[in-house]
Amino acid sequence: MTRAFKIGVFDNEEKFISAINLLQKKTFLIYDVFTPYPVHEVFHLLKRKSRLPTVAYLLGLFGIIGTLAFLYYTSVIDWPIIYGGKPFNSFPSFIVVTIVLTILTVTIGSLAVFSARSKLFPGRDNTVFDLRATDDKFVIVVEIASLNKPAAEEAGTIMNKQGAIEVYDKEFESVIT
Amino acid sequence: MYNRKVRGPLVEGNKSLGQITSDIVTPMEKNPGSWWYIAFGISSIAALFGFYAIYITVSKGIGTWGVNNSVGWGWEIINFVWWIGIGHAGTAFSIFLLILRQRWRTSINRAAEAMTVFAVLSAALLPTLHMGRVWLAFYVFPYPNTRGPLWVNFNSPLFWDFTAISAYLLISASFWYLGMLPDFATIRDKTASKVRKAIYGFFSLGWTGSSRQWIRFESLGFILGGIAAVLVVSVHSIVATDFAVGIEPGWHTTIFPPFFVVGAIFSGFAMVMTLMVIIRRAYKFTDYITDNHMDAIARILIFISLIMGTAYATEIFIAWYSGNEFEMFTLFRNRVTGDYAVQYWGMIICNALIPQLFWFKKIRRSWVGLLVVSLFINLGMWFERFNIVVTSLSKDFLPSNWVTYSPTIIEIGVFIGTFGLFASGVLLFIRFVPMMAISELKGVVNIGNKKED
Repeated sequence: MTRAFKIGVFDNEEKFISAINLLQKKTFLIYDVFTPYPVHEVFHLLKRKSRLPTVAYLLGLFGIIGTLAFLYYTSVIDWPIIYGGKPFNSFPSFIVVTIVLTILTVTIGSLAVFSARSKLFPGRDNTVFDLRATDDKFVIVVEIASLNKPAAEEAGTIMNKQGAIEVYDKEFESVIT
Repeated sequence: MYNRKVRGPLVEGNKSLGQITSDIVTPMEKNPGSWWYIAFGISSIAALFGFYAIYITVSKGIGTWGVNNSVGWGWEIINFVWWIGIGHAGTAFSIFLLILRQRWRTSINRAAEAMTVFAVLSAALLPTLHMGRVWLAFYVFPYPNTRGPLWVNFNSPLFWDFTAISAYLLISASFWYLGMLPDFATIRDKTASKVRKAIYGFFSLGWTGSSRQWIRFESLGFILGGIAAVLVVSVHSIVATDFAVGIEPGWHTTIFPPFFVVGAIFSGFAMVMTLMVIIRRAYKFTDYITDNHMDAIARILIFISLIMGTAYATEIFIAWYSGNEFEMFTLFRNRVTGDYAVQYWGMIICNALIPQLFWFKKIRRSWVGLLVVSLFINLGMWFERFNIVVTSLSKDFLPSNWVTYSPTIIEIGVFIGTFGLFASGVLLFIRFVPMMAISELKGVVNIGNKKED
C-alpha cells in the first residue's frame, strides 16, 4: 500500500521549531521529524520519551542476580574447591566479576533493545524521506491520510509561511520510521 | 554553563552545517596522498614482522623469549599493561567528559575511541601469547566442560582480568560503532558513488535521523557512557590487582589500583595528544581541533603528572616508613639506585618532570612542544611498567633467585608487531571512517560563537 506524505524542508532550526509548534497547535498529527543532530526542543514538543533507562535498570538487575547465581552454582554447588582458605561462597571476591558481567549484560542488552525498537539492523532498507536531513536540513513529515484534503493543503501553507525552503508531496511503498 | 571567554568557541570559522559535513567527508573521498601509503606500508611491515615473531613464539614456545624462572613476566606483560593504559584514553576521554558534560570532547572522541579499540586489541594479544599453548586459550572461558566440569578460579585477578578486558573490548567497540551510525548515514545520503552508498548504507543500519531514533540514541549513549565509566576504572584496577595480590616486594601495596588507573589515563591522554597533533597537521583540522582543545588536554596532563609524581614519592616514603626490609631493598637498592636506576629515573623525568613544561603557554600552543612532551610521557609510562614488572621480579627474597633480564629479538618483534597492528588500524580508521563525530559537531557548532551569546 502506498502512503502519501507532505514533506517540509527547513534550513534553520528556529523556523523549524516554530513550524512544529504551529502545526501542533492546529492539531495536525506530525508523522515524524528528521534532523542532522538531536534537537532537544523537538523531544519536548513531540513528547518523545525513551524508556531505555528503565530497560537498562532491569537488565542490570538481571545481570547482577544472574552472575551471582552462576558464581554460587559453580563455586558452591557444582564443584566446590577451596582456594587460599576462603569459603566456597567468597562473596567479596565475586564482586569484581559481577560488576564486569553486569556492565556487559546492560550494554549488550540495551543495544539489542535499541536496535529492535529503532528498527536499526544490518541490511535494513535505506530509504529516507529527504536525503538532506542527514546533512544540514531539518525535515517535517505529515501523513496526508491522517488529514482531509483542505487540511493537508493548510499544513503545507503553514510550513511555507514559517520559512520552509521547500514543501512537497511524496509517496512511499514501505513505512519509514 | 559554557564560558566562552575562558575556552573560546568549540568550532572556529563560523561553519554552516553543510560545511561541517563536507569538511569531514571530503578527505575520505579523496586519495589520501603518498604519506598515507608510506605510513601504511611501514606499519604493515611492522605487523608482518610481528606475525613472524608470533609464529616463532607459537611454534617453538615461549622459550624463545628472554623470560626465565625468576623474571616470569617480561616485555609481554610490560607491553600489555602499556597498551591497556593507552586503551583507556578513548573511553576515558569520551565517557568521563560525556558524563561531566564537557562538550569540547566532540571533535576528539571519535579518534580517541578508535585508538582505544586498536590499543586494546594489541594489548589482548600479548597475555594470550604468554599462555604458551595458545590453542588451549579457550580454557579460560567458564563453560560447562568435560573436565569435571572444572570451573575457572573466580577468585583470581587473572580471571578478572580476562573478563574485564574482553568486556572492555566489546563495550568500547560497540560504543564507538554506535556513535558512527548517524555519520555513516550522512555519507550514505551525500555520496554520489553507488559502491560507497551501498557499503556505508549497510553499516548505517538504516539510520534516518528521526526524532524517535535520536532520543533513543542519546539515552543509550548516556546509559553506555555511565556504566562504561565504571568499567574504565575497574579494568585498570583489575590489572593492578594482578600485581598487588602477588607478594613480590614493590607490588604488594594498596596504592596500586588508583595509581594504575591514573597512570592509564595519563598515557592514554598523551597518546590522544600525539595522534591529534598529527591528524590536525595532516588534515588541517585546526578549525575543529582548535588550539584551545590541545590546551585543555595539556592542562589535564599537568594535573595528572602531579598525581603521578605524588604517587612515586608515596611509594618511596611507604617503603621507608613501613620498615619492611624487602620493600626498602627493592625501592632503594634496585630502583632508585642499582641495575635499573636508568629506567627508574627515566620514568621520574618523563612522567613527573617533563610534563611540567606545559605550565608554559608557549609550549601548550606549539605543535612541536605538544608532540615531544606527549611522546616523552608515553616513553615514561613504558619505563614505569618496566620498573614494576622487572625490578621486583629480578631480585626478590632469595639472592639465589636473582637474575637479570633482557628481551630477545622475538619478544621485541611481538612488540613491534603490536605497534604495526595499532598503526595500521588507526590509518585505516582515518581513511574510511569519519574522523570526527559529524552529528555531534553540528550540535555544538554555535557554542562559544557570537550567535549564541
